[in-house]
Amino acid sequence: MNPAARQFSRVDLRRWLATAARLGLFGLAVSALVVGIATGLSAADAPLPPAPHAYVNDYAGMIPAERARALETRLAQFERDSSNQLVVAIYPRLPADAALEDFTVRTAQAWGVGGKQRDNGAVLFVFVADRTLRIEVGYGLEGRLTDAICHAIIENELKPRLRAGRPAAAIEAAVNALIAATTGEYQGTGRTRAENNGRTGKRANSDLMFLFWLGLPLLFILLRFRRGYTYGNQNSRRRSRYDDLPWGGGGPWGGGGSSGGGGGFSGGGGSFGGGGASGKW
Amino acid sequence: MKTFLIALAAVGFLALLAVLYVVGIYNGLVNAQQGVDAQWAQVQNVYQRRADLIPNLVNTVAGAANFEKSTLTEITEARASVGKVTLDASKAPTDAAQFAEFEQAQGRLSSALSRLLVVSERYPDLKATGNFATLQSQLEGSENRIAVERGRFNDAALTYNAAIKRVPAVFFAAVFGFKEKPYFAATASAQTPPEVKFDFSKAAK
Repeated sequence: MNPAARQFSRVDLRRWLATAARLGLFGLAVSALVVGIATGLSAADAPLPPAPHAYVNDYAGMIPAERARALETRLAQFERDSSNQLVVAIYPRLPADAALEDFTVRTAQAWGVGGKQRDNGAVLFVFVADRTLRIEVGYGLEGRLTDAICHAIIENELKPRLRAGRPAAAIEAAVNALIAATTGEYQGTGRTRAENNGRTGKRANSDLMFLFWLGLPLLFILLRFRRGYTYGNQNSRRRSRYDDLPWGGGGPWGGGGSSGGGGGFSGGGGSFGGGGASGKW
Repeated sequence: MKTFLIALAAVGFLALLAVLYVVGIYNGLVNAQQGVDAQWAQVQNVYQRRADLIPNLVNTVAGAANFEKSTLTEITEARASVGKVTLDASKAPTDAAQFAEFEQAQGRLSSALSRLLVVSERYPDLKATGNFATLQSQLEGSENRIAVERGRFNDAALTYNAAIKRVPAVFFAAVFGFKEKPYFAATASAQTPPEVKFDFSKAAK
């Protein structure tokens, strides 16, 4: 082999390797983009209300602000004492195409109320115009907050007071009953999750973390190819879909959510399996 | 010679990448399969929960004066037929016929139960007992849990089935023994729990 030919083939090989590497990177970028879009779509195809940053979320103006704040303080303290997360969510109405139990279990699951290990969360949903109630119970509280107890809370605490036109008293009584039923199941750490997260309102969201880790190499690859940073656009387009939904703006506090005493609420990734009870008043 | 070595190294590197790629895909399939199996266990769990409630329910209802015996027999029989369809609780079935049989038996029990609750509307004494109200809320909760876990099973099975059919995986999924998993029929009851509840608001108004 003469030196010129050898030189040529080495350059050739290098070129070939570089092309192969580029193709590989491009393939990676495309697949990462596809996965990213798929993840984004699966999150967007079933629009659910965004996760709240307070324990008491009154989007229907049902409870006077002072009493909502008092409840908020109590529920934050309850999480410090017991690590259980109880959330109240009051909406003007159920979305038109949603079935109650399907909607509430998916929402509670998406919010991740309760700890990831203990699944010790529960959400009281109220849909005012539909006069519908639902207590959604996380797996870890099903032992204490049985369907029968939830049923009793709805029948005995909520319904009579709601029918009597005393919504604030109804919610307070229900929260008392929920606290009484779930006290003692787990031991608290003296701090809420929101406080542990350090920043008020920051939510430990594994999906967002996933997107972040997915986004990093993607960003790198895309910049490498000088094709522009399209991922951010994708993300903001997804978020803007939520803005059109009835749960008041895309802002973290929604329309008229009560302000937090004690650092706000932050879900821990708890899971829900459809336990609880429903009712109409 | 040097060129040959570089080429050899490149080929070796590519081969290593290919092996790692296949291993990665294989592990992904295993994870997806585990997800389906875990969800299947959950489904079995909630069906078992419902089956466990039934003797209690039957006893309570049977205590009510001259309750329609045919409805009770129907339930007892449906529960017995559910017990006959034994499937491995730790592994989601891949046999579509077996799966359909399981679902049919559970479906019979579901409809027998909802009929019982409709019939018991006619027995105000029965409805008034706290025991019955409790059982009813538990039954309602069971049906709801079943709907939730069935839905999640279908999600997990969809992820898995799509994973074994996607292009690189499809070439060796069968070799490694990954078989397609059947879905629960997407009836209306898979989305929303069947109407087994009384309308309390109507009764109270």
